[in-house]
Amino acid sequence: MAKSKPSKKPRGPDRILVSVIGNRFDAISKEIGQTMLRTSRSPIFSEARDFVTAIFDAKMRLVAQTAYIPVLMGALPNVMARIQEVFADDIQDGDVFICNDPYRAGNNHPPDINIIRPLLHRGKVAFWAVSKGHHADVGGGGVAGYNPSAKYIWEEGVRIPPAKLYMAGKPNKALWDMILLNVHLPFLVEGDLKCQVGAVAIGARGLEALLKKYGLATLDAAIDEIFDASEMQMRDAIRTIPNGVYRASRQMDHDGINKTHPITIKLAIHVKDGGMTFDFEGSDPQVPGYVNSTLPNTASSVFISLFMSLGKDMRFNEGALRALEVKAPLGSVVNPTEPSPVTGCTVSAAQTISETVWLALSEAIPDRVDAAWARWCAPASMGFNPRTGRPFGDIHFMGRGGSGASQGSDGWDHLAPSFCAGSLRSPDPELHELVDPFTVMQYEYLPDSAGAGEWRGGMGVVYRWRSETDGIPLANFGGGVSEITAPFGLKGGKGGIPHRVALIKKSGERIKADTESFYQMDSGDMFEICQSGGGGFGDPKRRPAERVAADVRDGLVSVELARNYYGVAVDASTFKVDTAATASLRKA
Amino acid sequence: MKFRIGVDVGGTFTDFLVSGEGQTARVYKSSTTPDNPAIGFFAGLEQAAKDHGLTLQALLDRVDTIVHGTTITTNAVLTSTGAKTGFITTKGFRDLLNMRRGLKDRQFERYAPPPPLVPRYLTCVVEERCNVSGEIEVPLNEDDVVAAARQLSKEGVEAVAVSYLWSFLNPAHELRTREILQREMPGIYISLSVDVLPQIRVYERHSTTALNAYSGPILTRYLSKLEAELKNRGYAGKLLIMQSNGGVMSPQVAQRFASNTLLSGPAGAPGAGVVYGSTHGFQNVITVDMGGTSFDVALVKDGKPSITTDGSIGEHRIASPILDIHTIGAGGGSIARVEAGGLLAVGPASAGAKPGPACYGRGGTKPTVTDADFLLGYLDAEAFHGGQLTLDRAASEKAMQEHVAGPLGTDTVQAADGVYQVINANMAAALNVVSVQRGYDPREFVLIVAGGAGPIHAAPIARELEIPLVLIPRESSVFCAAGMLISDLQHDYVRTYARDIDKVDSAGVSRLFTEMSATAKDTLIGEGVAIKAVQLHYSADLRYVGQFNEVEVALTFKSKVTDKDIAAILDAFHARHEALYGYSMRGAPAELINLRVTARGVTPKPKFARSPKARTQVQKALIGKRNAWFGKWMKTPVYDGLKMANGHTVAGPAIVQQPTTTIIIPPDYDLRCDEYNNYLMYPKGANLTQLIRNLAKRS
Repeated sequence: MAKSKPSKKPRGPDRILVSVIGNRFDAISKEIGQTMLRTSRSPIFSEARDFVTAIFDAKMRLVAQTAYIPVLMGALPNVMARIQEVFADDIQDGDVFICNDPYRAGNNHPPDINIIRPLLHRGKVAFWAVSKGHHADVGGGGVAGYNPSAKYIWEEGVRIPPAKLYMAGKPNKALWDMILLNVHLPFLVEGDLKCQVGAVAIGARGLEALLKKYGLATLDAAIDEIFDASEMQMRDAIRTIPNGVYRASRQMDHDGINKTHPITIKLAIHVKDGGMTFDFEGSDPQVPGYVNSTLPNTASSVFISLFMSLGKDMRFNEGALRALEVKAPLGSVVNPTEPSPVTGCTVSAAQTISETVWLALSEAIPDRVDAAWARWCAPASMGFNPRTGRPFGDIHFMGRGGSGASQGSDGWDHLAPSFCAGSLRSPDPELHELVDPFTVMQYEYLPDSAGAGEWRGGMGVVYRWRSETDGIPLANFGGGVSEITAPFGLKGGKGGIPHRVALIKKSGERIKADTESFYQMDSGDMFEICQSGGGGFGDPKRRPAERVAADVRDGLVSVELARNYYGVAVDASTFKVDTAATASLRKA
Repeated sequence: MKFRIGVDVGGTFTDFLVSGEGQTARVYKSSTTPDNPAIGFFAGLEQAAKDHGLTLQALLDRVDTIVHGTTITTNAVLTSTGAKTGFITTKGFRDLLNMRRGLKDRQFERYAPPPPLVPRYLTCVVEERCNVSGEIEVPLNEDDVVAAARQLSKEGVEAVAVSYLWSFLNPAHELRTREILQREMPGIYISLSVDVLPQIRVYERHSTTALNAYSGPILTRYLSKLEAELKNRGYAGKLLIMQSNGGVMSPQVAQRFASNTLLSGPAGAPGAGVVYGSTHGFQNVITVDMGGTSFDVALVKDGKPSITTDGSIGEHRIASPILDIHTIGAGGGSIARVEAGGLLAVGPASAGAKPGPACYGRGGTKPTVTDADFLLGYLDAEAFHGGQLTLDRAASEKAMQEHVAGPLGTDTVQAADGVYQVINANMAAALNVVSVQRGYDPREFVLIVAGGAGPIHAAPIARELEIPLVLIPRESSVFCAAGMLISDLQHDYVRTYARDIDKVDSAGVSRLFTEMSATAKDTLIGEGVAIKAVQLHYSADLRYVGQFNEVEVALTFKSKVTDKDIAAILDAFHARHEALYGYSMRGAPAELINLRVTARGVTPKPKFARSPKARTQVQKALIGKRNAWFGKWMKTPVYDGLKMANGHTVAGPAIVQQPTTTIIIPPDYDLRCDEYNNYLMYPKGANLTQLIRNLAKRS
């Protein structure tokens, strides 16, 4: 056997080489991301990693992607299609493309600016290196891009259609000036655009080396193989879900305009023989405010939940997408028409959509979905820091809730929101104080915030800070501030609590803060966010009493909650379980 | 005659290198004894003594230095068996340590969070707060500290870590806390962030300080016992401990800064690379070490190993400077499988030492890289590990057929070749990370290969990255122990000095450098280093205003830092930024964040003896031929490495075997034994003399 001749029977392209090439594409995409991470200026890029990088081929197919923030994962193919439409015959070596408009450029929302660099081979495009990231500011009437009172896309920031930021290596000065003139924080935006341009140049360098090594024909064939393999893998995973139709609906708190009107998203998932259709028929019509979800964002939100349930070791590319279809009626809140405002969609709508997916799938594969994660609810802020003499723009990424529990695993503390899937890195409080005119007063777990369950939800946090200067606008956004939008539990697990958000004036006056709303902080004012933990999974009375007692000893669960929800009597000073009392509580 | 001994405790074996002046170094291995590593330590020394015809005591009499690499702290962290540790921090911020900045590594997998380093009930908060300018905003509430001390005493902790917000700007509160803890908890192990890592970024500082407390008592106990046992056997020489930064330190310093040993396992390799490279004047080398489960890569530029502050262990961050060693899960034990989509994947899961590869015949049923190497004819069934183990071909074939060849619809040889190619590509990608991705061109580097399995895979890795020359030291399998022997004493110091570069006061910079240098000199002199052997290296971390990550650039100055020196580091920063990230922004405001001093107590380096030209033909070393796979089966000559000498050249395809190492020379490569008895492998037809000259010149 060992000395046998190699088999000569014909087969497709070499599987081994395909594996190698697949890893290479992934590595190049990661390298683009590393460059962004190391050099960006907006804390939203470098600290919170709110960006995605990718490689496309000449046919505008998604070859590889590194989604630091997974809600961006499905948002690139439409953008690339538009670039192709507009510039098909006019692409030169050294060009760098830019765009951000949801309606003209297929983008998800305006703060995410796309920077795209083609790699030419014998005069024709061979590959594209792509970077998309959430900028600290895109102008408009909002704070760091968030304008909860916008009724039209024009109020959300500068609209950039598919355009060339560099033409054959030369900067398009007029466009640069045009963009920087229309934003509040030009020095941050300029630095981060250059960081993106640098990153895609690094990506193109890697692609060029790959092309030189293997040649275009081999790479093309390998990509076909990779897609087929990914499709097969995805379909195999879907076949583990029983065929059927699974339905769910969840709500957003409101759109910032009609503040008493919750917005419903309805979903039916059709699972059939290794394919899935996500149909949003019956969802509310588009709304005046900025929580309308563009179709790329709607699709991305679906993909995140699905991947968190099925996607271990799976590549996200064109091939995997072939097994999936997302349908949303035009003119609905999950597929709005121009000129509806949309900036809030990557948060408010995304988390609601991902909840509908999990809730629907919980009927079919309860062991593979999480109870709801806490929704995002924290502000963006922007202004001038007198201590540094510089403007700043930031999103308060420390205010995070817990993730939902699942069969066999407690939720993770301080991990939400779901649309980041645990890859959002909270900023460093010291670097934050160094740049922003704020002093952080409290940042730790909030006891009793998590949903009780046999598997407990992850803890939410209490995050409180003081402003050191006057006139700082905040745009608070996200949701989860009411009973109907708080995290749900599954299989008998309890839900989390609604978030409590407040502005505490220097005078001591406490103003309850709402989601999708503007506030202003002056020197000495404090803003306080009490975040929900994640939903629990399974009956809390089945949680081992020792684990409940350990939570009490750790100060995460109160003696009262242990008694009332878990049916465990814990001594407040020794943290010992009273076995007899517990038995009778649990029998009840 | 005096000896120096390197002792490297690994997962499976403890490696020994005994070097005597003017002698060829001798190599020993003993089995690692995880429960009490000292047993394996002394067993190896006994072996060495016997081999030199001495008693252990007589050998120890002749030894002046033992350099010891230990993984005792590493294992304690990885298995959650460190000291019971308390953590004291600023009120209102109880959980920053365990929040770990809210990250989950594997996004699309459902798994439980890592266990906390310090559970919440052992985390105490005290009222105190410094602000962004280092001014005290809330004075230290000493009652809170006393209460915390009593609480932690009651819980029976062995160690306490203290880290407050902004303490690196104003250490008063941490220093006072130490006084109170010493009074309330006499004898307790205390780790202060202002001692361990006085720099910005709370979580990273907390985590490093807590890891230091968590591992401190473990290391202290181990070293005290080891020193006592050495003393009992009459040892009067020096004991030095390997650190993660590639330097060594005295046991006394090690006990205070135990966290500096956490990633010291592979830290000997880059230093060894420097020394082996120096035999031909190579200063740019990439070292690789392929073991059973992991593959470690490090880059050395201009004779200096790369350093990083991005370390982590068991999902806990270590932000002290460590050697930038990139590790991936690729080794002889890495398991091959065919994924759902039909593509072949190898590692990171490993069969480890137990059950090990299928061919070990210890019950392993999964095909590993070693099985692939064996099926391709690269390993000798009878001569593996010096003949201590006979490899089982049927077991390898069965595993390969079942898990790879079957699912792929091919035969076991094609499957084995696939495993070989995939693992080589993965390893080449790891080299890409430390070279191309850091702005270095691998074609200007020499690949130095360590580890028993490394030389089987070296040529394809070099070919993939167009690395022109491979150097395989004769002591390849105890490479790290060799590196330890030549390590200098080394300590790193950092102080945060955050401000715009045009507002930097060069006198202030001078003052901080002077303070750090004074501490450095005191420490080194306390470890017995002569003042003229002390070398100080200065550097600064810079970034463009608004960025959140820094670039470290070296700084030189005469007696005092001047404005001109500051201008020079700014220039260097722009250039390095351009190389690393594809752009720079000259003219844009930049800021300084940290100042760093690296202090070395330079130790004498062993001189390699040149061996005389071989008087015999290489054919005398030929021990036979066997079939090996290079795209087809080829009758391949096999040479006994121990019989090869200076000037012997073999043409690929060929195999060179030593008791613990096998070198595969594919058909497009040749290999020569050089004047230091190391091997040089290079593409067939290359002019070796010219190649060496070019690579040495690049350095």
